[in-house]
Amino acid sequence: MIMEGRRTFSLLLAIVATFAIAPLIAIVYYTFVQDGHFDVSQISRMFDNDRLWRTLGNSLLLGVFVILGTTILALPMAFIRTKTSLHKYGWLDIILTIPFMTPPYIGSMGWILFMQNNGFLQQLVPGTAWLSDAFFSLFGMVMVMSLHLFPFLYLMLKNTLLRINGSFLDAALIFGRSSLRNWLQVILPLLVSSYVLGVLLIFIKTLAEFGTPATFGSRIGFQVFTTEIHSYLSRWPVDIRMATSLSLFLLSVCLVVWYFQNLIGRKFTYSVLSGKTPAVREIKDKWYIKFGSWFYVGIVLLLAIGIPYFSIIVTSLQKVRGDGLSAGNFSFASYQALFTSGSAGLAAFLNSIVFSIVTAVITAIIGFFIALYVKKGETKKQQMLDFFSLMPNIIPGIVFVVGLIMFWNAPWLPATIYNTKTMVVVTYCVLFLPYSVQYTKSTFSQLDQSIFQSAAIFGRNSWDMYRYIFIPLLMQGILAGMMMTFIISMRELVAGLLILPPSVETGATFIYSQFEQGNVGLGMAVAVITVAMTVVFMFLLDWLQKRGGHVGA
Amino acid sequence: MVKKRFKLLATAGILLALTLAGCGNNKSADSVNNEAASAKSKEEVQTLTVYSAGPDGLAANIQQAFEEKTGIKVEMFQGTTGKILSRLEAEKNNPVADIVVLASVASMDGLKESNQLLSYQEAENASKMNRNWSDAEGYYYGYSASALGIAYNTKNTKDIPTEWTDLAKPEWQGKMNIPDPSLSGSAVDFIYGYTEAEKTAWDTIQLWKNNGLQVNGANKEALDAVITGDKNATISGVDYMAYKAKASGEPVEIVYPKSGTVVSPRAVAIMKDAKNVEGAKAYVNFLLSDEGQKLVTDAYLLPGNNEIAVKDRAALDEIPQLKVNWKGSESKQLDILTKFNDIFR
Repeated sequence: MIMEGRRTFSLLLAIVATFAIAPLIAIVYYTFVQDGHFDVSQISRMFDNDRLWRTLGNSLLLGVFVILGTTILALPMAFIRTKTSLHKYGWLDIILTIPFMTPPYIGSMGWILFMQNNGFLQQLVPGTAWLSDAFFSLFGMVMVMSLHLFPFLYLMLKNTLLRINGSFLDAALIFGRSSLRNWLQVILPLLVSSYVLGVLLIFIKTLAEFGTPATFGSRIGFQVFTTEIHSYLSRWPVDIRMATSLSLFLLSVCLVVWYFQNLIGRKFTYSVLSGKTPAVREIKDKWYIKFGSWFYVGIVLLLAIGIPYFSIIVTSLQKVRGDGLSAGNFSFASYQALFTSGSAGLAAFLNSIVFSIVTAVITAIIGFFIALYVKKGETKKQQMLDFFSLMPNIIPGIVFVVGLIMFWNAPWLPATIYNTKTMVVVTYCVLFLPYSVQYTKSTFSQLDQSIFQSAAIFGRNSWDMYRYIFIPLLMQGILAGMMMTFIISMRELVAGLLILPPSVETGATFIYSQFEQGNVGLGMAVAVITVAMTVVFMFLLDWLQKRGGHVGA
Repeated sequence: MVKKRFKLLATAGILLALTLAGCGNNKSADSVNNEAASAKSKEEVQTLTVYSAGPDGLAANIQQAFEEKTGIKVEMFQGTTGKILSRLEAEKNNPVADIVVLASVASMDGLKESNQLLSYQEAENASKMNRNWSDAEGYYYGYSASALGIAYNTKNTKDIPTEWTDLAKPEWQGKMNIPDPSLSGSAVDFIYGYTEAEKTAWDTIQLWKNNGLQVNGANKEALDAVITGDKNATISGVDYMAYKAKASGEPVEIVYPKSGTVVSPRAVAIMKDAKNVEGAKAYVNFLLSDEGQKLVTDAYLLPGNNEIAVKDRAALDEIPQLKVNWKGSESKQLDILTKFNDIFR
């Protein structure tokens, strides 16, 4: 049938290997080989470094606390959105994913501007100075990161709860004794596996996060792996071997966590899909449940969206930052400067768009073929390709970026793409390939086997099969993957900081550098525009998925 | 049989897709290649790659004026001194920079010592440049400088500090910051100059630390904390940034302590591996020319050529200076950085 055979496999593997595996090999090589000799001294040098242990401790601690924080935010939210009358407000889901789509460094800059001494909070409510000290601590950092990551866990939990809602609950209602026992013995155990999977992913995402530690963490002196690796590469004095060995270490930690995730995933997965579509019941809440639910949703939205966006927008509109929130201190000057032709901010923003579109197109094509080949991952080869293509999801972006830099700077390469725009696109493709693979794969898995069989029987040739059957049927998944890739590429920071060629900036690096050397108002104007565009795309994405759902049904 | 045909066609399909992907890729690759190709065909003179450590506006103005005057296209990488040095290090295998502009003479001297710079003794106007800031053998020229002072918030500061040690007083507890010296070239210069010239400097630094001194990112980040009132003062504040913020109405002012401060020269040099040496020389000449020096003073920096009048700021001879010897200071600066990091991290 389609997408089988050795040649296909070798070709796909070759692509994935050059772009995703080679950088990892480069990291190992630079860590263990010096002047052509095998040499482990770097490892002992790394382990002798006190800072390694402090950084490791910090990273792990942060991961655990963020798990706690996201749980506190996501679990009640998932129940509210499935068990109370709020379940019917579908638009809430889009709103709730905005924090996740917001570039993390922008979110934490918003929080910093809001909470700092003489920040917006103290200007609005004088006498809250004590809050500021409490906020600039590990607590604040955990809060900012949890507010950014919780939508991810929330969506996972909500989807599981929705699935459990069907015949399982009916059975429990019929045979169960009390609703409390139903909860404890049916719902919670069924929820555990997706919860554990979710939080382990949150843990990995926390370890991989760069934006918040770089902005918030550096302020409170809290170094984690990603910032440590970045600083060995971008601060003087540079220590490239230290950066590669730290990357290797971080890589190992993530692989271990991922292994456990897999183990748990296999052990505790129950089949909750019973084939019956959960009937939508009319839920009538008591007034206090309704009030409490809305109150909770309101608070979360205020913290996750209201406050950071308030700071960002206000800062982008301020004339004199030292004058704070005072009447007459607002203008559109930053936006005017931004939209003046030839402005660096606009150029950076447009660069981001071009990079993101090119990335989305390339990953969609490669992802499409990988998804077709991998199918359900029954053979060893399929599993291997599946694993390799999804690897960038488990491995922190900065590790790949370091590897790509090392690989493309290798002296024996006849030609290099380093210091060109191609390098940026290649890096983005490596980092974001999993999105298109996953989206296409999940749409693919919804297709019934009979479609392939009838296609094989009646299809004239394989080109027609692609043209009339697979591409149209998978289009919705492919487009969704492209949108997601686009959104994520638009906000990528660490890759840009390390690999952009001269004269090229992206929106993300522009915003970041405005904080370092330039005009914060201008940076925030770019941030507002980036985010506004992201939100538009998210509504598009939602519309696309809904439409796809109707067509499929 | 049919299966085999499918296989073949599928492979063809992939190849097609790959070509498409390649095209998508080529879109950017092409433009890069074209640039490279055109640079080569026109004797590699048309583009010049400059790695420049801020200030943003000045670098852009110089680039524009230079491009208009010479017709040479400039590719610019902007970053802090730390970023540029690390980029040079990472790119050792395939160097791209023709010109480097650093905010620290000591680092520049380090590049010279490690044989990475090209001497250009015949630079026009070289004799007019401040000798203390430039290399006698023409490896680099201090075309401008910034003086480091105490930048403070005029709304929140009652007693204006006049000495470095003032900031160790209790009323400054938790209210001041310093740019991170591993990011900011001028901050390393400050710590180096201050600790070289002042015997008690490390004690004072320790007192600052005890008094809650915060290490606050690059220069603008540190100054922004003062502008917004998060902190009241920045130690080793870069003066041109403060003057610029003041000119746009921000409540900020800068003082130079009476016992003296560090003037940190910003130097330009040609890389030894430069591909466009002629263009690089033209760039150096432009920076040292009266026109370039005017642009420098417009950005509130101190010009390398003393004859050019400064604008809305203290002239060089009005700033009390510590005696600092920059030659061979790079290795010492490393030790200082380590010592500083040990205290603050």
